[in-house]
Amino acid sequence: MHLYYFRESARSIRQHRALATTAIVVLTAALALTGLFMLLTYNAERALELMGDRREMIVYLRDDLSPSDRDLLMGRLHDLYGFTTYVSKEQAWDEMRQQVGDPTLLEAVQDNPLPASIRIKLKPALLAPDSMEAAAREVAKFPEVEDVRYGAEWVRRLDELGAGLRLGTLAVGVIVAIAVVFVLYNTIRLTVLARRQQVEVMSRLGATDRFIAWPFVLEAMTEAAFAALLALGAVFGVQRALATRLIGLEFLPPVWALAFVGAAVALAWFAAWWALSRVLRAVGP
Amino acid sequence: MITFDRVSKRHGERLVLDSISWRMDEGECVVFLGHSGAGKTTILRLISHETQPTEGTVTVGTFASGRLPRRHRALLRRTLGVVYEDFRLLHDRSVFENVALPVRVAGRFANEEVIPRAMFALEEVGLQDKHHAYPHELSAGERQKAAIARAIVNRPAVILADEPTGALEKKSAREVLDLLKRIHAEGAALLLVTTRAEVAEALPARVLYLDDGKLVGSDPAAAPGAGAPGAGEDPAGPEVAGDAGSRAATVP
Repeated sequence: MHLYYFRESARSIRQHRALATTAIVVLTAALALTGLFMLLTYNAERALELMGDRREMIVYLRDDLSPSDRDLLMGRLHDLYGFTTYVSKEQAWDEMRQQVGDPTLLEAVQDNPLPASIRIKLKPALLAPDSMEAAAREVAKFPEVEDVRYGAEWVRRLDELGAGLRLGTLAVGVIVAIAVVFVLYNTIRLTVLARRQQVEVMSRLGATDRFIAWPFVLEAMTEAAFAALLALGAVFGVQRALATRLIGLEFLPPVWALAFVGAAVALAWFAAWWALSRVLRAVGP
Repeated sequence: MITFDRVSKRHGERLVLDSISWRMDEGECVVFLGHSGAGKTTILRLISHETQPTEGTVTVGTFASGRLPRRHRALLRRTLGVVYEDFRLLHDRSVFENVALPVRVAGRFANEEVIPRAMFALEEVGLQDKHHAYPHELSAGERQKAAIARAIVNRPAVILADEPTGALEKKSAREVLDLLKRIHAEGAALLLVTTRAEVAEALPARVLYLDDGKLVGSDPAAAPGAGAPGAGEDPAGPEVAGDAGSRAATVP
């Protein structure tokens, strides 16, 4: 019986090639747009994660701090805020020399002016800008601490960028979902109306709505799956073209690609049943 | 089996059926004879729940008129085999696929039963050699035979025929009537509507006359306490061996 549904669905697509092709082309365009946003979001999130890994707090220490007090402070900061690393005045100077590169620039500086510091790789719970700010205020209260830096504005912007991208993808996803439902709703409606005689005959032979509907539902799902695969192909093409210019640009992972096709097929299922629940009552006597 | 109790049907201002009462029992053959627009097709549409009476009650087996859920309406229609004047075959599929469709629709049979059932029905109407043909490749008479095969393939309790010879020339019409007569003789109830008196005469039928939506003369079978005409006789006619002998299916 299920084979019958698939055969009928294939027959319908064959007989209404123009309608099916139009639907697939429009769906591919809409889904490719979503796919591109997903590609952007996925890569942006990866970049944000990498940057998020570098979210650290630098605690500058007073010059007169003894090694035992320093170790005690490191222990407390480690317990409260995250993994700590001590950077001595000499290490800080070496790092600066490497970053500046040109030794003549540093010759003007007589003594090493850089303070020793403790770098804290914050616990995941403290990575949000507000939490980081509160933690920085707390750390600054320690008498051993000269100053605290954590790049507050940078962290806030990073988070806003991530949230903006996710919201953008969601908005495009919702608009495209509505477009997909609209296109498939009308395609199935037109297909049923084009096969009105068949639907009427089947209804008179005692076919249930479900029996009549399944081939049309499968047709919509097939078109959506095909369009989603074509859209993924287009997104893959874009990724390959840009990968040479944007190093590290990756294609969507398999789970994302599967979810993309699955969502398109699920939308098709919904759109087709919706269309059929309305049109069968009008056509089937 | 089928009972019309004071049934009226109105289309807008026009009264198509005017309080008609009649009944039909299992294995009976009833012909409605009347001119065009007399309300004959409306009777068939009322039986198959394509339309509802404005007044009165139509009962088919255990299904009474009124708003049936679509699923129940489908079940009712599976107990009927309908033959139309214009055949209503699906042009995009072969004769075999057309005949097999009600078997698939019924959903009662496994896939491996579809082919023998459809082929048996085609053999009964003499179209077994044309099962691969498409409707447009058949003559009008053959198309009507294919439609009859489609109507009988599930062994329905009753065959409804709406002017089945209306689109046929004489020879084909005679063949189709012979076929219907044979199917009725094998046990199926037959309800046929026609404008042609010779069709009614060709069948061993109880003839009811419709004129402008009124039953001319009453149906004695519809009188309280009355059975089918010829009660006591065997309406199934001569017994036929095999599957054909069990044609009169039970209406739920």
